[in-house]
Amino acid sequence: MDRRIRSLDHIFNPKVVAIVGASATPNKIGNVLIKNFYDARFQGRVCPVNPKYADIMGFRCYPTVESIPGKVDCVIIATPAETVPEIMEECARKEVGGVIILSGGFEEVKRDDLALKIREVADKSGIPVIGPNCLGVYNPYTKVDSIFLPTYKLERPKAGGIAFITQSGAVGSTVMDLAAYNGLGISKFISYGNSTVLDESDYLEYLMQDEETEIIILYIEGAKDGRRLYETMKKVNKVKPIIALKAGRGRGAAAAARSHTGNIAGSYLAYQAAFKQAKVTEANTLGEVFDIVKIFNQPKPKGKRVGVITNGGGIGVLTADAIESEGLEIAQFSDETRAGLAKILPSYGNVANPLDLVADAGVEAYGKAIDLMMADKNIDALLIIILTQTPPIDERIIHVLSRVVDEKQKAIATISIGGAYTETYRKILEGKGVPSYDSPNSAARAMERLMTYAKYRELLGKK
Amino acid sequence: MTLIDDFALLEKHGFKLLPYSLAKNEKEALAAAKKIGYPVALKIVSPGITHKTDVGGVKLKIKDERSLRIAYEEIIQSAGSAKLDGVLVQKMARKGVELIIGGKKDPQFGHMIILGLGGIYVEIFRDISARLCPLVSEDVDEMIAELKSHPLLEGARGKKPINKKVLEQLALRACRFMAQEDITEMDLNPVIIDEKGCDIVDARFSR
Repeated sequence: MDRRIRSLDHIFNPKVVAIVGASATPNKIGNVLIKNFYDARFQGRVCPVNPKYADIMGFRCYPTVESIPGKVDCVIIATPAETVPEIMEECARKEVGGVIILSGGFEEVKRDDLALKIREVADKSGIPVIGPNCLGVYNPYTKVDSIFLPTYKLERPKAGGIAFITQSGAVGSTVMDLAAYNGLGISKFISYGNSTVLDESDYLEYLMQDEETEIIILYIEGAKDGRRLYETMKKVNKVKPIIALKAGRGRGAAAAARSHTGNIAGSYLAYQAAFKQAKVTEANTLGEVFDIVKIFNQPKPKGKRVGVITNGGGIGVLTADAIESEGLEIAQFSDETRAGLAKILPSYGNVANPLDLVADAGVEAYGKAIDLMMADKNIDALLIIILTQTPPIDERIIHVLSRVVDEKQKAIATISIGGAYTETYRKILEGKGVPSYDSPNSAARAMERLMTYAKYRELLGKK
Repeated sequence: MTLIDDFALLEKHGFKLLPYSLAKNEKEALAAAKKIGYPVALKIVSPGITHKTDVGGVKLKIKDERSLRIAYEEIIQSAGSAKLDGVLVQKMARKGVELIIGGKKDPQFGHMIILGLGGIYVEIFRDISARLCPLVSEDVDEMIAELKSHPLLEGARGKKPINKKVLEQLALRACRFMAQEDITEMDLNPVIIDEKGCDIVDARFSR
């Protein structure tokens, strides 16, 4: 790997962070940045840079990057575009570890001249540069946070295994907010804007070897180098699954994306082909990104045979429909499973897949039915419908499901459909790492994507 | 580049085109048809005419000399005042499934291949699949499976399935051709394929 890509470590795990364009005025970007480091209890040193102040919020303020004593690992620049090339020169003289340029006003407004100066300094000095025109990074493990949006408005997700690479800051910030809201854990967040120096392929390479990252979400409008992206995705997706969302598919949207990021959006047909050939999982909407990513923490299914458990017949039938329309199979239970299930069903119950435990089913019946299906060699994964509205279902179901997920025997996804009460259950389940869906179709679709990726990895192993 | 130059370049790269000959007059057309063997097709060749069928510039299934004379006359009439390179005499293609094999050079991803079923399937249903070059045989299998109309290729309604090996070789050859000649766009359209083999009926490309 390129040394400059490896140097991104300075940005993600810094001891000393300089914030150029720091401000004492509340709600200015240069102020929010400092406040975010302070609120998150960042363990390293924060050095505001602005010749106008002696200190900001109790942090000693420096007139220049060069006047900061000792080594500076990460520099966050939030000053007007015209000032950035000179600050970059200063960073090169200071031999800083890495730079994030939040400022806009470069390629996206046809100031390629300014962008070129940044690239020249970066290439000469070997300093990794994220941006410009971006939100930069968030690392929940080290609390590095250049997202200049206040934490009371945009919640930060907890630490976890999902890395998120995004060209757009707006998409990035909403995804972060939603991830936090849904209890998903993030390993690294990278909003990279114009990709003037490092681009999506570099970040994929970095995350491939990042220990905290297990899965990568890639939101892309237009690649800087499509061919290289294709080759890199091929390589990385073999090790860690990539979930890609391509925006700018139509002609109008592609034009908007061009003026937006300064990159020319290639034709969607070519992107689609690249994703398919790299075996990258493509999502069609932001909602689908979440649906897919949350099931990828599950064990890899060995086949496409699904066992279904429900406490309501109709939703079971709808789920069977969804399973079939995604090209998955309804599993045939083994004789042992059938015998075991007969014992836990009431006299009027029927042993079949989908297994309808009926509305009187309590939490114990779920536990036993799940265990029987986990032991059945004819079943590769489970879709478990829990209609929380029935009287016997209570919070103990959460313990049953989180135990099942912790045991990591087979992939499961749960489906619960309803209003505020049900949504509370779903949120708790998701926080415990239990993939939870509000429709049979989204659950079946996510399961299909997991199974397809699992099959790809299995074939790779055989080669 | 004329049509004949294009065809010659394709043949140089190993594409097997339907036997053809460019005739400048009726006598040449008759001689060519005799050599190629009936039935033949006649097609107008003119730099000003792109949609040959629309102007009545294509005559198919010509089975003997008498029909050829009539067809030739009709084609010349249809051309009106348009400048003519001549009339293409071509062996009639086999009966089979009509395919389009296209290629283009994407500014970001480079050369790619597009597969679709001919006629209304491409035009109305936009039923196409695409892969980046170079291809491996697995890619071609996937491209076929991805088409909504793929049952037509797998032998629907008592027909035999198409020869996938032939299609695969053709797609791989198209990739190599585009790379070697640095083609920006190409169209093999239609390619008629059956269980035995395929006929490339028409081809266009640009550099």
